Amino acid sequence: MTNMLSVTGLTAGYGRVTVLHGIGIEAGKHGNVGLFGPNGHGKTTLLRAVSGLLKPKAGSIVFDGADITGESARSIVARGLVHVPQGNTLFPDLTIADCMSLGAFSPHARPHEAANKERVAALFPKLAERWRQRVRTLSGGERQMVSIGVALMSHPKLLILDEPTLGLAPKIKDELCKAVLDISKAGVPLIVVEQDVEFLLELTNHLYFINHGQVETEIKPGDSLAHSDIMAMYFGQ
Amino acid sequence: MNALADILFGGLFQGSLYAMMAVGLALVWTTIGVFNFSHGVLMMLGAYFAWQLVDWGLAPALAFPIAVLLMAGVGWLLQATVVRPLIGRANLVLVVVITTLAAGSLIENGVLELWGPRSKQIPPLVAGNAMLGGVGVSLHQIAIIVVTPIILLALWLFLNRTRLGLALRAVAQNEDAACLVGLNVTMLYGLAFAIAASLAALAGIFLGGYRFMTPVMGADPLLKALIVVVFGGISSISGPIFAAYLIGFFEAICSYYFGLYWTPALLFAALILTLMIKPEGIFASRSRGLA
Repeated sequence: MTNMLSVTGLTAGYGRVTVLHGIGIEAGKHGNVGLFGPNGHGKTTLLRAVSGLLKPKAGSIVFDGADITGESARSIVARGLVHVPQGNTLFPDLTIADCMSLGAFSPHARPHEAANKERVAALFPKLAERWRQRVRTLSGGERQMVSIGVALMSHPKLLILDEPTLGLAPKIKDELCKAVLDISKAGVPLIVVEQDVEFLLELTNHLYFINHGQVETEIKPGDSLAHSDIMAMYFGQ
Repeated sequence: MNALADILFGGLFQGSLYAMMAVGLALVWTTIGVFNFSHGVLMMLGAYFAWQLVDWGLAPALAFPIAVLLMAGVGWLLQATVVRPLIGRANLVLVVVITTLAAGSLIENGVLELWGPRSKQIPPLVAGNAMLGGVGVSLHQIAIIVVTPIILLALWLFLNRTRLGLALRAVAQNEDAACLVGLNVTMLYGLAFAIAASLAALAGIFLGGYRFMTPVMGADPLLKALIVVVFGGISSISGPIFAAYLIGFFEAICSYYFGLYWTPALLFAALILTLMIKPEGIFASRSRGLA
Protein backbone atom coordinates (compact mmCIF):
# COMPACT_ATOMS: atom_id res chain seq x y z
CA MET A 1 0.00 0.00 0.00
CA THR A 2 1.44 3.35 -1.00
CA ASN A 3 0.97 6.56 0.87
CA MET A 4 -2.50 7.97 0.50
CA LEU A 5 -1.55 11.31 1.89
CA SER A 6 1.85 12.96 1.92
CA VAL A 7 2.31 16.36 3.46
CA THR A 8 5.75 17.90 2.95
CA GLY A 9 7.25 21.13 4.19
CA LEU A 10 3.85 22.62 4.98
CA THR A 11 3.81 26.18 6.31
CA ALA A 12 0.51 27.73 7.29
CA GLY A 13 -1.04 30.09 9.80
CA TYR A 14 -3.60 32.78 10.42
CA GLY A 15 -2.84 36.28 9.20
CA ARG A 16 0.71 37.15 10.18
CA VAL A 17 0.96 34.34 12.72
CA THR A 18 2.62 31.23 11.38
CA VAL A 19 1.51 28.08 13.17
CA LEU A 20 3.01 25.33 11.04
CA HIS A 21 6.72 25.51 10.26
CA GLY A 22 7.43 23.12 7.42
CA ILE A 23 5.58 20.15 8.85
CA GLY A 24 5.50 16.78 7.08
CA ILE A 25 3.43 13.64 7.68
CA GLU A 26 2.61 10.49 5.76
CA ALA A 27 -0.63 8.59 6.11
CA GLY A 28 -2.26 5.52 4.65
CA LYS A 29 0.85 3.33 4.42
CA HIS A 30 0.58 1.57 7.72
CA GLY A 31 -3.13 1.97 8.34
CA ASN A 32 -4.22 4.59 10.80
CA VAL A 33 -2.20 7.59 11.90
CA GLY A 34 -2.42 9.28 15.28
CA LEU A 35 -1.44 12.87 16.01
CA PHE A 36 -0.82 14.03 19.52
CA GLY A 37 0.88 16.80 21.37
CA PRO A 38 0.09 19.83 23.48
CA ASN A 39 -2.78 22.14 22.59
CA GLY A 40 -2.04 25.16 20.42
CA HIS A 41 0.88 23.61 18.55
CA GLY A 42 -0.67 23.08 15.15
CA LYS A 43 -2.59 19.79 15.05
CA THR A 44 -5.90 21.35 14.13
CA THR A 45 -4.21 23.87 11.80
CA LEU A 46 -2.52 21.00 9.98
CA LEU A 47 -5.85 19.23 9.48
CA ARG A 48 -7.56 22.45 8.34
CA ALA A 49 -4.82 22.97 5.75
CA VAL A 50 -5.11 19.37 4.55
CA SER A 51 -8.89 19.60 4.07
CA GLY A 52 -8.73 22.94 2.28
CA LEU A 53 -10.28 25.16 4.95
CA LEU A 54 -6.98 27.02 5.25
CA LYS A 55 -4.72 27.94 2.33
CA PRO A 56 -1.13 26.90 3.05
CA LYS A 57 1.67 29.45 2.57
CA ALA A 58 4.22 26.90 1.41
CA GLY A 59 4.73 23.17 1.06
CA SER A 60 2.72 20.53 -0.71
CA ILE A 61 -0.12 18.13 0.01
CA VAL A 62 -0.51 15.07 -2.20
CA PHE A 63 -3.58 12.88 -1.83
CA ASP A 64 -4.27 9.71 -3.78
CA GLY A 65 -1.62 10.58 -6.35
CA ALA A 66 -2.82 14.14 -7.01
CA ASP A 67 -1.41 17.42 -5.77
CA ILE A 68 -4.23 19.05 -3.79
CA THR A 69 -2.26 21.96 -2.34
CA GLY A 70 -4.48 25.05 -2.31
CA GLU A 71 -7.54 23.28 -3.72
CA SER A 72 -10.96 24.24 -2.38
CA ALA A 73 -12.48 22.21 0.44
CA ARG A 74 -15.26 21.24 -1.94
CA SER A 75 -13.00 19.51 -4.46
CA ILE A 76 -10.97 17.87 -1.70
CA VAL A 77 -14.15 16.31 -0.26
CA ALA A 78 -15.02 15.15 -3.77
CA ARG A 79 -11.69 13.30 -3.86
CA GLY A 80 -12.68 11.33 -0.78
CA LEU A 81 -10.59 13.12 1.84
CA VAL A 82 -13.12 13.89 4.54
CA HIS A 83 -12.53 15.96 7.68
CA VAL A 84 -14.57 15.90 10.89
CA PRO A 85 -13.53 19.12 12.63
CA GLN A 86 -13.09 19.51 16.35
CA GLY A 87 -16.28 20.27 18.29
CA ASN A 88 -18.33 20.42 15.10
CA THR A 89 -21.63 22.20 15.80
CA LEU A 90 -22.94 21.16 12.38
CA PHE A 91 -26.21 22.76 11.28
CA PRO A 92 -28.21 23.46 14.45
CA ASP A 93 -31.58 23.99 12.78
CA LEU A 94 -31.45 20.98 10.49
CA THR A 95 -32.59 17.48 11.37
CA ILE A 96 -30.21 14.53 11.55
CA ALA A 97 -31.72 13.22 8.31
CA ASP A 98 -31.08 16.59 6.62
CA CYS A 99 -27.45 16.53 7.75
CA MET A 100 -27.03 13.03 6.37
CA SER A 101 -28.35 14.01 2.96
CA LEU A 102 -26.01 17.03 2.97
CA GLY A 103 -23.18 14.62 3.71
CA ALA A 104 -23.95 12.94 0.40
CA PHE A 105 -23.89 16.27 -1.48
CA SER A 106 -20.68 15.52 -3.37
CA PRO A 107 -21.41 13.88 -6.73
CA HIS A 108 -19.07 10.98 -5.96
CA ALA A 109 -21.02 10.17 -2.77
CA ARG A 110 -24.52 10.23 -4.32
CA PRO A 111 -24.53 6.67 -5.73
CA HIS A 112 -23.58 5.28 -2.31
CA GLU A 113 -26.11 7.34 -0.35
CA ALA A 114 -28.54 4.57 0.58
CA ALA A 115 -25.79 2.10 1.51
CA ASN A 116 -23.93 4.69 3.57
CA LYS A 117 -27.10 5.67 5.37
CA GLU A 118 -27.63 2.07 6.45
CA ARG A 119 -24.02 1.92 7.55
CA VAL A 120 -24.45 5.02 9.73
CA ALA A 121 -27.69 3.69 11.20
CA ALA A 122 -25.99 0.38 12.05
CA LEU A 123 -23.00 2.16 13.56
CA PHE A 124 -25.07 4.60 15.66
CA PRO A 125 -28.42 2.98 16.50
CA LYS A 126 -29.04 5.94 18.79
CA LEU A 127 -29.25 8.29 15.81
CA ALA A 128 -31.45 5.99 13.78
CA GLU A 129 -34.11 6.31 16.48
CA ARG A 130 -34.29 10.09 16.14
CA TRP A 131 -33.73 10.77 12.48
CA ARG A 132 -36.19 13.71 12.49
CA GLN A 133 -34.69 15.47 15.51
CA ARG A 134 -32.91 18.81 15.16
CA VAL A 135 -29.17 18.93 15.76
CA ARG A 136 -29.42 21.74 18.32
CA THR A 137 -31.39 19.47 20.64
CA LEU A 138 -28.71 16.76 20.72
CA SER A 139 -26.10 16.18 23.41
CA GLY A 140 -22.42 16.73 22.67
CA GLY A 141 -21.81 13.01 22.16
CA GLU A 142 -24.80 12.58 19.88
CA ARG A 143 -23.70 15.60 17.85
CA GLN A 144 -20.25 14.04 17.48
CA MET A 145 -21.95 10.87 16.22
CA VAL A 146 -23.87 12.92 13.66
CA SER A 147 -20.60 14.61 12.62
CA ILE A 148 -18.94 11.28 12.00
CA GLY A 149 -22.09 9.99 10.33
CA VAL A 150 -22.13 12.97 7.94
CA ALA A 151 -18.47 12.29 7.11
CA LEU A 152 -19.27 8.66 6.32
CA MET A 153 -22.07 9.84 4.04
CA SER A 154 -19.35 11.65 2.05
CA HIS A 155 -17.93 8.21 1.23
CA PRO A 156 -14.39 8.79 2.54
CA LYS A 157 -11.25 7.13 1.24
CA LEU A 158 -9.39 8.69 4.14
CA LEU A 159 -11.15 10.05 7.21
CA ILE A 160 -9.74 12.78 9.47
CA LEU A 161 -11.09 12.90 13.02
CA ASP A 162 -10.10 15.88 15.14
CA GLU A 163 -10.55 15.05 18.83
CA PRO A 164 -13.65 12.89 18.41
CA THR A 165 -14.03 12.26 22.13
CA LEU A 166 -13.26 15.76 23.45
CA GLY A 167 -15.30 16.62 26.52
CA LEU A 168 -17.58 13.60 26.44
CA ALA A 169 -18.92 11.58 29.35
CA PRO A 170 -17.11 8.21 29.79
CA LYS A 171 -20.06 6.06 28.73
CA ILE A 172 -20.74 7.88 25.47
CA LYS A 173 -17.01 8.17 24.88
CA ASP A 174 -16.69 4.37 24.98
CA GLU A 175 -19.50 4.12 22.49
CA LEU A 176 -17.73 6.54 20.13
CA CYS A 177 -14.37 4.82 20.48
CA LYS A 178 -16.01 1.54 19.56
CA ALA A 179 -17.66 3.13 16.52
CA VAL A 180 -14.35 4.65 15.38
CA LEU A 181 -12.68 1.24 15.71
CA ASP A 182 -15.51 -0.30 13.69
CA ILE A 183 -15.05 2.28 10.92
CA SER A 184 -11.36 1.51 10.85
CA LYS A 185 -12.01 -2.26 10.73
CA ALA A 186 -14.35 -1.71 7.80
CA GLY A 187 -11.31 -0.54 5.86
CA VAL A 188 -11.39 3.27 6.04
CA PRO A 189 -7.93 4.57 6.99
CA LEU A 190 -7.99 7.28 9.65
CA ILE A 191 -5.99 10.26 10.80
CA VAL A 192 -6.95 10.87 14.41
CA VAL A 193 -6.06 13.66 16.81
CA GLU A 194 -6.76 12.45 20.30
CA GLN A 195 -5.77 13.29 23.86
CA ASP A 196 -6.67 9.83 25.14
CA VAL A 197 -3.41 8.00 24.58
CA GLU A 198 -4.82 4.57 25.36
CA PHE A 199 -7.50 4.93 22.71
CA LEU A 200 -4.89 6.22 20.27
CA LEU A 201 -2.65 3.20 20.91
CA GLU A 202 -5.57 0.84 20.45
CA LEU A 203 -6.30 2.46 17.10
CA THR A 204 -2.83 2.77 15.63
CA ASN A 205 0.88 2.24 16.11
CA HIS A 206 1.93 5.03 13.77
CA LEU A 207 2.07 8.25 15.73
CA TYR A 208 3.33 11.77 15.28
CA PHE A 209 4.17 13.94 18.25
CA ILE A 210 3.56 17.53 17.12
CA ASN A 211 5.17 20.37 18.98
CA HIS A 212 5.80 23.99 17.96
CA GLY A 213 4.27 23.44 14.54
CA GLN A 214 6.64 20.63 13.63
CA VAL A 215 6.88 16.88 13.98
CA GLU A 216 9.08 16.40 17.00
CA THR A 217 8.96 12.62 17.07
CA GLU A 218 7.59 10.03 14.68
CA ILE A 219 6.75 6.65 16.15
CA LYS A 220 6.63 4.09 13.35
CA PRO A 221 4.99 0.69 13.58
CA GLY A 222 7.43 -1.74 15.14
CA ASP A 223 9.07 0.92 17.28
CA SER A 224 8.85 -0.11 20.85
CA LEU A 225 6.93 2.34 22.88
CA ALA A 226 5.16 2.38 26.12
CA HIS A 227 2.41 4.47 27.53
CA SER A 228 4.94 6.04 29.83
CA ASP A 229 7.09 7.18 26.88
CA ILE A 230 4.21 9.10 25.43
CA MET A 231 3.37 10.58 28.78
CA ALA A 232 6.98 11.70 29.02
CA MET A 233 6.69 13.45 25.64
CA TYR A 234 3.55 15.23 26.73
CA PHE A 235 4.80 16.45 30.03
CA GLY A 236 8.58 16.50 29.54
CA GLN A 237 10.99 14.52 31.58
CA MET B 1 -71.84 40.87 2.76
CA ASN B 2 -70.28 43.86 1.10
CA ALA B 3 -68.01 44.56 4.08
CA LEU B 4 -66.88 40.97 4.32
CA ALA B 5 -66.03 40.77 0.64
CA ASP B 6 -64.21 44.09 0.85
CA ILE B 7 -62.10 43.00 3.79
CA LEU B 8 -61.47 39.53 2.44
CA PHE B 9 -60.37 40.83 -0.93
CA GLY B 10 -58.29 43.69 0.47
CA GLY B 11 -56.59 41.40 2.97
CA LEU B 12 -55.74 38.76 0.41
CA PHE B 13 -54.43 41.34 -2.03
CA GLN B 14 -52.27 43.29 0.41
CA GLY B 15 -51.15 40.05 2.06
CA SER B 16 -50.00 38.69 -1.29
CA LEU B 17 -47.95 41.79 -2.05
CA TYR B 18 -46.38 41.83 1.41
CA ALA B 19 -45.61 38.12 1.28
CA MET B 20 -43.95 38.53 -2.10
CA MET B 21 -41.73 41.31 -0.75
CA ALA B 22 -41.01 39.86 2.65
CA VAL B 23 -40.11 36.35 1.55
CA GLY B 24 -37.05 37.55 -0.38
CA LEU B 25 -35.88 39.56 2.59
CA ALA B 26 -36.41 36.54 4.84
CA LEU B 27 -34.59 34.24 2.42
CA VAL B 28 -31.46 36.41 2.50
CA TRP B 29 -31.68 36.68 6.26
CA THR B 30 -32.09 32.94 6.85
CA THR B 31 -29.35 31.93 4.42
CA ILE B 32 -26.72 34.66 4.80
CA GLY B 33 -27.75 36.25 8.09
CA VAL B 34 -27.87 39.83 6.79
CA PHE B 35 -30.65 42.29 6.07
CA ASN B 36 -30.71 43.52 2.51
CA PHE B 37 -31.77 47.14 2.71
CA SER B 38 -31.69 47.50 -1.05
CA HIS B 39 -34.55 45.00 -1.37
CA GLY B 40 -37.09 47.78 -2.00
CA VAL B 41 -34.84 49.32 -4.64
CA LEU B 42 -34.46 45.93 -6.33
CA MET B 43 -38.25 45.77 -6.50
CA MET B 44 -38.33 49.20 -8.14
CA LEU B 45 -35.57 48.28 -10.59
CA GLY B 46 -37.44 45.11 -11.57
CA ALA B 47 -40.54 47.17 -12.34
CA TYR B 48 -38.48 49.62 -14.43
CA PHE B 49 -36.82 46.80 -16.37
CA ALA B 50 -40.28 45.41 -17.14
CA TRP B 51 -41.51 48.85 -18.17
CA GLN B 52 -38.52 49.41 -20.46
CA LEU B 53 -38.92 46.03 -22.14
CA VAL B 54 -42.62 46.63 -22.72
CA ASP B 55 -41.81 50.12 -23.99
CA TRP B 56 -39.43 48.59 -26.51
CA GLY B 57 -42.38 46.63 -27.84
CA LEU B 58 -42.03 43.29 -26.11
CA ALA B 59 -45.21 41.50 -25.11
CA PRO B 60 -45.73 41.57 -21.32
CA ALA B 61 -45.78 37.75 -21.26
CA LEU B 62 -42.20 37.88 -22.53
CA ALA B 63 -41.03 41.11 -20.91
CA PHE B 64 -41.97 40.16 -17.34
CA PRO B 65 -40.01 36.88 -17.18
CA ILE B 66 -37.00 38.57 -18.82
CA ALA B 67 -37.12 41.38 -16.25
CA VAL B 68 -37.28 38.82 -13.44
CA LEU B 69 -34.28 36.93 -14.87
CA LEU B 70 -32.30 40.13 -15.34
CA MET B 71 -32.97 40.98 -11.71
CA ALA B 72 -31.64 37.58 -10.65
CA GLY B 73 -28.37 38.67 -12.29
CA VAL B 74 -28.50 42.05 -10.55
CA GLY B 75 -29.08 40.28 -7.22
CA TRP B 76 -26.10 38.03 -7.83
CA LEU B 77 -23.92 41.02 -8.74
CA LEU B 78 -25.04 42.96 -5.68
CA GLN B 79 -24.12 40.03 -3.46
CA ALA B 80 -20.72 39.65 -5.07
CA THR B 81 -19.88 43.35 -4.69
CA VAL B 82 -21.32 44.61 -1.42
CA VAL B 83 -21.99 41.47 0.67
CA ARG B 84 -19.63 38.61 -0.11
CA PRO B 85 -16.35 40.53 0.42
CA LEU B 86 -17.50 41.43 3.94
CA ILE B 87 -18.46 37.95 5.13
CA GLY B 88 -16.45 37.02 8.18
CA ARG B 89 -16.00 40.62 9.39
CA ALA B 90 -17.08 41.72 12.82
CA ASN B 91 -20.47 43.49 12.96
CA LEU B 92 -21.41 41.96 9.62
CA VAL B 93 -25.12 42.72 10.04
CA LEU B 94 -24.57 46.44 10.59
CA VAL B 95 -21.92 46.77 7.90
CA VAL B 96 -24.20 45.13 5.35
CA VAL B 97 -27.07 47.43 6.33
CA ILE B 98 -24.81 50.33 5.33
CA THR B 99 -23.43 48.78 2.13
CA THR B 100 -26.84 47.66 0.88
CA LEU B 101 -28.34 51.07 1.73
CA ALA B 102 -25.50 52.67 -0.21
CA ALA B 103 -25.97 50.36 -3.20
CA GLY B 104 -29.73 51.00 -3.03
CA SER B 105 -29.24 54.75 -3.06
CA LEU B 106 -26.87 54.43 -6.01
CA ILE B 107 -29.38 52.36 -7.99
CA GLU B 108 -32.27 54.64 -7.05
CA ASN B 109 -30.48 57.74 -8.31
CA GLY B 110 -29.25 55.87 -11.36
CA VAL B 111 -32.84 55.05 -12.25
CA LEU B 112 -33.85 58.66 -11.66
CA GLU B 113 -31.07 59.80 -13.99
CA LEU B 114 -31.82 57.21 -16.65
CA TRP B 115 -35.62 57.11 -16.71
CA GLY B 116 -36.51 60.45 -15.13
CA PRO B 117 -38.92 61.30 -12.35
CA ARG B 118 -42.13 61.07 -14.40
CA SER B 119 -44.43 58.29 -13.16
CA LYS B 120 -44.83 55.27 -15.35
CA GLN B 121 -47.15 52.30 -15.45
CA ILE B 122 -46.72 48.81 -16.79
CA PRO B 123 -49.59 46.80 -18.24
CA PRO B 124 -51.54 44.64 -15.78
CA LEU B 125 -51.04 40.87 -15.68
CA VAL B 126 -54.66 40.49 -16.81
CA ALA B 127 -56.63 43.44 -18.17
CA GLY B 128 -60.22 44.10 -17.21
CA ASN B 129 -62.48 44.22 -14.17
CA ALA B 130 -64.93 41.92 -12.48
CA MET B 131 -67.64 42.05 -9.81
CA LEU B 132 -66.99 39.80 -6.86
CA GLY B 133 -69.49 39.55 -4.00
CA GLY B 134 -70.74 43.03 -4.80
CA VAL B 135 -67.26 44.55 -4.96
CA GLY B 136 -65.67 45.77 -8.15
CA VAL B 137 -62.13 44.42 -8.52
CA SER B 138 -59.54 44.37 -11.27
CA LEU B 139 -58.51 41.09 -12.78
CA HIS B 140 -54.89 42.16 -12.22
CA GLN B 141 -55.47 42.03 -8.48
CA ILE B 142 -57.20 38.66 -8.75
CA ALA B 143 -54.23 37.38 -10.74
CA ILE B 144 -51.85 38.52 -7.98
CA ILE B 145 -53.95 36.79 -5.33
CA VAL B 146 -53.86 33.55 -7.34
CA VAL B 147 -50.24 33.65 -8.56
CA THR B 148 -48.56 34.61 -5.27
CA PRO B 149 -49.44 31.45 -3.27
CA ILE B 150 -48.31 29.30 -6.20
CA ILE B 151 -44.91 30.99 -6.30
CA LEU B 152 -44.54 30.87 -2.53
CA LEU B 153 -45.45 27.19 -2.51
CA ALA B 154 -42.89 26.53 -5.25
CA LEU B 155 -40.25 28.35 -3.19
CA TRP B 156 -41.19 26.38 -0.08
CA LEU B 157 -40.98 23.09 -1.96
CA PHE B 158 -37.61 24.09 -3.41
CA LEU B 159 -36.22 24.93 0.03
CA ASN B 160 -37.67 21.94 1.85
CA ARG B 161 -37.83 19.17 -0.72
CA THR B 162 -34.69 19.54 -2.83
CA ARG B 163 -31.07 18.97 -1.93
CA LEU B 164 -30.06 22.37 -3.30
CA GLY B 165 -32.71 24.01 -1.12
CA LEU B 166 -31.40 22.08 1.85
CA ALA B 167 -27.88 23.30 1.07
CA LEU B 168 -29.21 26.85 0.93
CA ARG B 169 -30.76 26.48 4.37
CA ALA B 170 -27.59 24.93 5.77
CA VAL B 171 -24.89 27.23 4.43
CA ALA B 172 -25.28 30.14 6.83
CA GLN B 173 -25.61 27.95 9.89
CA ASN B 174 -22.01 26.81 9.72
CA GLU B 175 -19.77 27.86 6.86
CA ASP B 176 -16.89 25.53 7.77
CA ALA B 177 -19.16 22.50 8.04
CA ALA B 178 -20.79 23.52 4.75
CA CYS B 179 -17.39 23.55 3.02
CA LEU B 180 -16.48 20.20 4.54
CA VAL B 181 -19.50 18.42 3.04
CA GLY B 182 -18.64 19.91 -0.33
CA LEU B 183 -21.10 22.81 -0.63
CA ASN B 184 -20.16 25.66 -2.92
CA VAL B 185 -20.60 28.48 -0.43
CA THR B 186 -19.99 31.33 -2.91
CA MET B 187 -22.52 29.91 -5.35
CA LEU B 188 -25.15 29.41 -2.63
CA TYR B 189 -24.82 32.98 -1.34
CA GLY B 190 -25.19 34.25 -4.90
CA LEU B 191 -28.21 32.02 -5.44
CA ALA B 192 -29.95 33.32 -2.30
CA PHE B 193 -29.56 36.90 -3.49
CA ALA B 194 -30.57 36.04 -7.05
CA ILE B 195 -33.80 34.37 -5.90
CA ALA B 196 -34.56 37.23 -3.49
CA ALA B 197 -34.03 39.84 -6.22
CA SER B 198 -36.25 37.89 -8.63
CA LEU B 199 -39.03 37.77 -6.06
CA ALA B 200 -38.60 41.50 -5.47
CA ALA B 201 -38.81 42.14 -9.20
CA LEU B 202 -42.03 40.14 -9.38
CA ALA B 203 -43.46 42.20 -6.53
CA GLY B 204 -42.43 45.32 -8.44
CA ILE B 205 -44.21 44.11 -11.57
CA PHE B 206 -47.32 43.37 -9.49
CA LEU B 207 -47.21 46.84 -7.96
CA GLY B 208 -46.37 48.66 -11.19
CA GLY B 209 -49.43 47.11 -12.83
CA TYR B 210 -51.95 48.95 -10.69
CA ARG B 211 -50.09 51.90 -9.23
CA PHE B 212 -47.84 54.52 -10.79
CA MET B 213 -44.14 53.76 -10.61
CA THR B 214 -41.52 56.21 -9.38
CA PRO B 215 -37.85 55.66 -8.48
CA VAL B 216 -38.77 55.78 -4.76
CA MET B 217 -41.65 53.29 -5.02
CA GLY B 218 -39.62 50.65 -3.16
CA ALA B 219 -39.24 52.53 0.12
CA ASP B 220 -42.67 51.86 1.55
CA PRO B 221 -42.78 48.17 0.55
CA LEU B 222 -39.33 47.66 2.11
CA LEU B 223 -40.59 49.09 5.38
CA LYS B 224 -43.65 46.84 5.22
CA ALA B 225 -41.51 43.82 4.42
CA LEU B 226 -39.28 44.57 7.41
CA ILE B 227 -42.34 44.77 9.64
CA VAL B 228 -43.64 41.50 8.24
CA VAL B 229 -40.31 39.72 8.71
CA VAL B 230 -39.81 40.97 12.27
CA PHE B 231 -43.46 40.31 13.13
CA GLY B 232 -43.41 36.79 11.72
CA GLY B 233 -40.11 35.74 13.19
CA ILE B 234 -36.89 35.83 11.26
CA SER B 235 -35.80 32.25 11.62
CA SER B 236 -37.83 30.75 8.81
CA ILE B 237 -39.51 31.35 5.48
CA SER B 238 -43.00 30.26 6.47
CA GLY B 239 -43.24 32.66 9.45
CA PRO B 240 -43.06 35.82 7.33
CA ILE B 241 -45.49 34.36 4.79
CA PHE B 242 -48.16 33.80 7.44
CA ALA B 243 -47.38 37.18 8.98
CA ALA B 244 -47.74 38.91 5.59
CA TYR B 245 -51.31 37.67 5.19
CA LEU B 246 -52.08 38.39 8.83
CA ILE B 247 -50.92 41.99 8.41
CA GLY B 248 -52.77 42.24 5.10
CA PHE B 249 -56.03 41.29 6.82
CA PHE B 250 -55.26 43.48 9.82
CA GLU B 251 -54.84 46.47 7.52
CA ALA B 252 -57.96 45.62 5.55
CA ILE B 253 -60.03 45.44 8.73
CA CYS B 254 -58.51 48.61 10.16
CA SER B 255 -58.92 50.67 7.03
CA TYR B 256 -62.53 49.51 6.68
CA TYR B 257 -63.58 50.31 10.23
CA PHE B 258 -61.16 53.07 11.31
CA GLY B 259 -60.02 54.58 8.03
CA LEU B 260 -56.80 54.62 6.11
CA TYR B 261 -55.15 57.27 8.28
CA TRP B 262 -55.35 55.22 11.44
CA THR B 263 -54.14 52.02 9.87
CA PRO B 264 -50.35 52.52 10.12
CA ALA B 265 -50.59 53.67 13.72
CA LEU B 266 -52.77 50.70 14.68
CA LEU B 267 -50.42 48.35 12.84
CA PHE B 268 -47.40 49.62 14.72
CA ALA B 269 -49.30 49.46 18.02
CA ALA B 270 -50.12 45.81 17.31
CA LEU B 271 -46.51 45.16 16.30
CA ILE B 272 -45.07 46.71 19.45
CA LEU B 273 -47.55 44.83 21.63
CA THR B 274 -46.70 41.54 19.90
CA LEU B 275 -42.97 42.03 20.27
CA MET B 276 -43.36 42.87 23.96
CA ILE B 277 -45.14 39.59 24.56
CA LYS B 278 -43.21 37.46 22.07
CA PRO B 279 -39.92 39.13 21.08
CA GLU B 280 -38.90 36.37 18.68
CA GLY B 281 -41.97 36.99 16.47
CA ILE B 282 -45.33 35.25 16.46
CA PHE B 283 -44.47 32.30 14.27
CA ALA B 284 -40.86 31.86 15.33
CA SER B 285 -41.41 28.91 17.65
CA ARG B 286 -42.48 26.80 14.68
CA SER B 287 -38.92 26.50 13.55
CA ARG B 288 -37.25 25.99 16.89
CA GLY B 289 -37.06 23.00 19.17
CA LEU B 290 -38.22 19.59 18.08
CA ALA B 291 -39.29 19.07 14.52
